[in-house]
This record gives sequence, C-alpha cells and structure tokens, in this order.
Amino acid sequence: SSLSTAAEPWPENAALYQQLKEEQILLSDNASSLAVQAFLQMCNLPIRVICRANAEYMSPSGKLPFIHVGNQVVSELGPIVQFVKAKGHSLSDGLDEVQKAEMKAYMELVNNMLLTAELYLQWCDDVTVEEITHPRYGSPYPWPLNRILSYQKQWEVRRKMKAIGWAGKTLEQVLEDVDQCCHALSQRLGTQPYFFNKQPTELDALVFGHLFTILTTQLITDELSEKVKNYSNLTAFCRRIEQQYFEGHEKDSSTIAARSSKKSLLR
Amino acid sequence: MAAPMELSCWGGDWGLPSLHPECLTVMAYAKFSGAPLTVNTINNSWRAPKGDLPVLVSEDIVISQPAKILNFLRKQKYNADYDLSAKQGADTLAYIALLEEKLLPALLHTFWIEAENYCSVTKPWFASKIAFPLSLYLPGKMSREALNRILLTKGGPPLYSLTEVEAQIYRDAKECLNLLSKRLGTAQFFFGDTPTTLDAFVFGFLAPIYKVCFPRVQLQEHLKQLPNLCRFCDDILTCYFRLTVSGYSSAGQDTADANLQKLTQLVNKESNLIEKMDDNLRRSPQHPPRKLTTLKLAAGGEESSPMSRLSP
Repeated sequence: SSLSTAAEPWPENAALYQQLKEEQILLSDNASSLAVQAFLQMCNLPIRVICRANAEYMSPSGKLPFIHVGNQVVSELGPIVQFVKAKGHSLSDGLDEVQKAEMKAYMELVNNMLLTAELYLQWCDDVTVEEITHPRYGSPYPWPLNRILSYQKQWEVRRKMKAIGWAGKTLEQVLEDVDQCCHALSQRLGTQPYFFNKQPTELDALVFGHLFTILTTQLITDELSEKVKNYSNLTAFCRRIEQQYFEGHEKDSSTIAARSSKKSLLR
Repeated sequence: MAAPMELSCWGGDWGLPSLHPECLTVMAYAKFSGAPLTVNTINNSWRAPKGDLPVLVSEDIVISQPAKILNFLRKQKYNADYDLSAKQGADTLAYIALLEEKLLPALLHTFWIEAENYCSVTKPWFASKIAFPLSLYLPGKMSREALNRILLTKGGPPLYSLTEVEAQIYRDAKECLNLLSKRLGTAQFFFGDTPTTLDAFVFGFLAPIYKVCFPRVQLQEHLKQLPNLCRFCDDILTCYFRLTVSGYSSAGQDTADANLQKLTQLVNKESNLIEKMDDNLRRSPQHPPRKLTTLKLAAGGEESSPMSRLSP
C-alpha cells in the first residue's frame, strides 16, 4: 500500500479536517492544525481546510487534524510528514544525520512541553475549563450531551496528566515550563530565519503552529502569550512565516485575521 | 553548601550502582558535578516522603523528581553545565524530551510489562529489596503504573491492542538509540570532554538496558550494535563509579564482603578468647609459660587459616 501511496500524485482536492473554527476548536487542536497547514504550505501542497463538528470522531486516531488525500486518511503531524515523504516531498532531506536527530529532539520538546502545557491549561485549570473549554468543546451539541462529552474528555486528559506526572503541577510551574521551552527554542533559533538556517523544515511548521496560536488566542489571562512575547526572535519568526505562507490566501484557510471570538493580532 | 545531602535510591546489580533510571541519572549527575551526596539504597519505598524514588533530603528540604533534584544541586553550586553555551543548554532540554517520549516507554515495557522479564527478573529483584508484606504489593503497583503510562500516552486508536503499541514503542526506541548514537559520534561525551546533565540522563536511561540480564532482550541487542553508546556507558561506570565492567555481578562482591565480615568476626572472637585465656593463665601461676606459647601458636594457626581463605 505504501507503493500505491507513492504512485499517486498529490490531488487538488486534498482536505484537512478540524473542528469548527469560531465556536468549537480549542487551543491545542488549533495549534496542531495550524502546524500541519504550515507544513503543507511549506511543501507547496494545496490543501482545503474543512471544519466539522465531529472531526474528532472522524479521525482514525482520535486526534486532530487529519488529512484526506485520495483515498487515504492520515492524522497528526508525524504520520502526515511520513505520508508526504512517501509521495516524494520532504523538507528535511538536506539535513545531515546529526541535524535530523536535533530536529526530532526539538519536535519532541515542543510536544512534551508546549502541547502538554496547552492541554493542562485547557483541561486542568478550573477557571479556563469552566469559562472557555466546556462551553466551546460541547457547543455543537444539545444539553446534556455537551456537558457529558466535555466531562468525559476532561477525565481522559486528567488521567493522562496524572500518568506523566503533570497532575501535581501548579499553573505557575506549567507557565515556567513554557518559559523554559520558549527560552530553549529562542536560543536554538538565534538570529536565523528558520531553525535550520535558510530552509524551513517540519520543526519550523510545528513551532509556528504552537507559538502563533498561543500568541493569537485570547484566554482568561495573557500569562501564556506573555511568556512567548518575551522572546522577540520568536514573535518575529511567527510574523515571518505568517507573511510568507499565509497571507494572500483565502479567508477559510489558516485563519489568522478571520477569528472573531478569539483574536488579538500580532503586534 | 555545607548542609549534608542524602539521596535515597534503589540499589544496583549487574555492575550498576542502581537499577532505576531516575536514580542512576541523579547519581551520575552528582558524580559529574562533584556534589557530596550520601547515597542510601533504601529498601522501603513507603518511607520515602512522596513514595517515589529518588528522593533528596537536605536538612528540612525534601525533593523528589530528578529534574527538581538537579535544579537544587545547581543552586547549591554543583553545576555540571557550567561551560555549556545557551544553545547547548537548549539542546539538552530537547534531547531529554526525546528520551522521555521515545525511549522511556520501551524501557518501562522491558522492565515492567514484558511478562517473562517482569516475572523472572524485575519483580523478584524489587521484591527482595522491600520488606514483607510490601514486597507483595509494590512491584505490582509499579508495573501497573508503567502500563498505564504507556497506554495513556501511546495507546490511542488505531493501536488498539497492546501488541501493536509494543511494536510501535520498540520501533521508536530503536530509532531514538540510533539518533543518540549519531549525535554522540566519536566524542567522549555529548558536549565535548566533560560530562553534563544530558550525559547523566542518557546514562540513566541506557545503562539499565545495557547491563541488566533479561530473558527478552531486543532493546539490549539493538543497543549492543551501537558500540559508541556502549563505550559511553562503560566509560562512565569505570571513571565515575569505579565499578568493573566485566559484567561481574555485585552479588559476587557482596558475598566476598560478607565472607570478610564473618572472618573478621571469627578473628575477633578468637582474640577475645585468647585474652580470656591469658587472664586465666596469669591468675594461675603454676601453668608453665610454654603452654601459653602453645596456646598462642594454636590461636595464631587458626587465625592464619581463615586469612588464607581471603585470597580473591
């Protein structure tokens, strides 16, 4: 089957599925979706973004986003990168072995710290859960289904947090972890345009997805986005990628200016 | 800096100072940074304040996770990362994340979930270090926690069955080992000639895989094909822990120590006996001195034979 994957060229009607942008999608899923969109833009592969309330249930792994290409469905950035590579497109072919190791390590850092912090904030911080997450997550469904589904999801996420030792952390500690992660990313990026100098890779896409979402999402407080704003080269990085890969595109794809409920444009 | 610091850890075997990756990481970091730690190989995990080892106790402060312990040591001026550039510090964080995401699940699986390994090696070893009746409960609890962690972080659909998850985590772990090997190359440590935090973490994760003798060893076999990583572990063991790396189990060392202790006691007992006899003899003057000498010689003779048994 991987042979047939490679044989078919990238179709024009490739689609990326995520939750409803205005009412439903949460911080972490938005970040993941934006990362995939950025990656595909960097590979010059066209993709339409389709928003569906039941996107999470359509996904083969339960995680978002997923792409529907030809007759294949692939979810999450890692497998999507592999899939795209099998079709002959890759952003990291020019890297040597040590650089590839570094790239993978930094991608794990983003998943390990940034994504987990986003999940923590969304599902374990009581104020955020009550005022933002529960209303948004269950918004397409009638009562009591909306509450049931969001409590179920919350329980799942909290179990995972407990297993990896994050349940005992306070919000301050989580924000400190975010700061540590941003500090590391900022140091690694330095004054270069991209993480591996001239050409963007999947790492750039992933970092952009998360940082941009954090910067442009309005939460209860600005503490999270302030952590990122402390690092000017990171905000410049996000602006650069936004301008290069997202501006001039339709309002439906990739977001940025079109969000009404959560918006604070990059300044 | 003057406050004494005590580290409670799981003990070691198969040539390692500890079998537990987090304990090993902390012990290695302490050696690298020159922190004077008294290491207690604790054998009752419930007495450790948070229940999880390793635990550092310094005066009234109790710290329980490796990252926090290392932070504490750094604040006490025991810093192994002093010479690192900011970018190298960033790389350290990234590689540690890689270890936790890609290597740790397979490590946990090899130790706690693979049935043959768990039943024949892990469970008996850990149970032997804990007092009854905790020994009946704690290894099972650690095993369940390991399974839970793997399933929650790696086990979402479509990997519905444990066997599929297993295949994926071992693939990830082998890839991680390959990446580490490429990153290390021919250097002695990950950032030049002196070991740092990253070396402590890598050592903590690799050494148990490398040294512990399990019946199911796919990860160990893969690691043995990466000679620079094996050399890395051996170097740290010989230079910083002064343990032989011939695979000589410390159980052998313990028996020798026990023998030595027994023999020392025997010698002490005999010298006490001799003293008593001396007193008796002195009190009864009709005994000719020759007997004294005979007695001493006899005692000396007995003394010498246990000594000769001491030869390694």
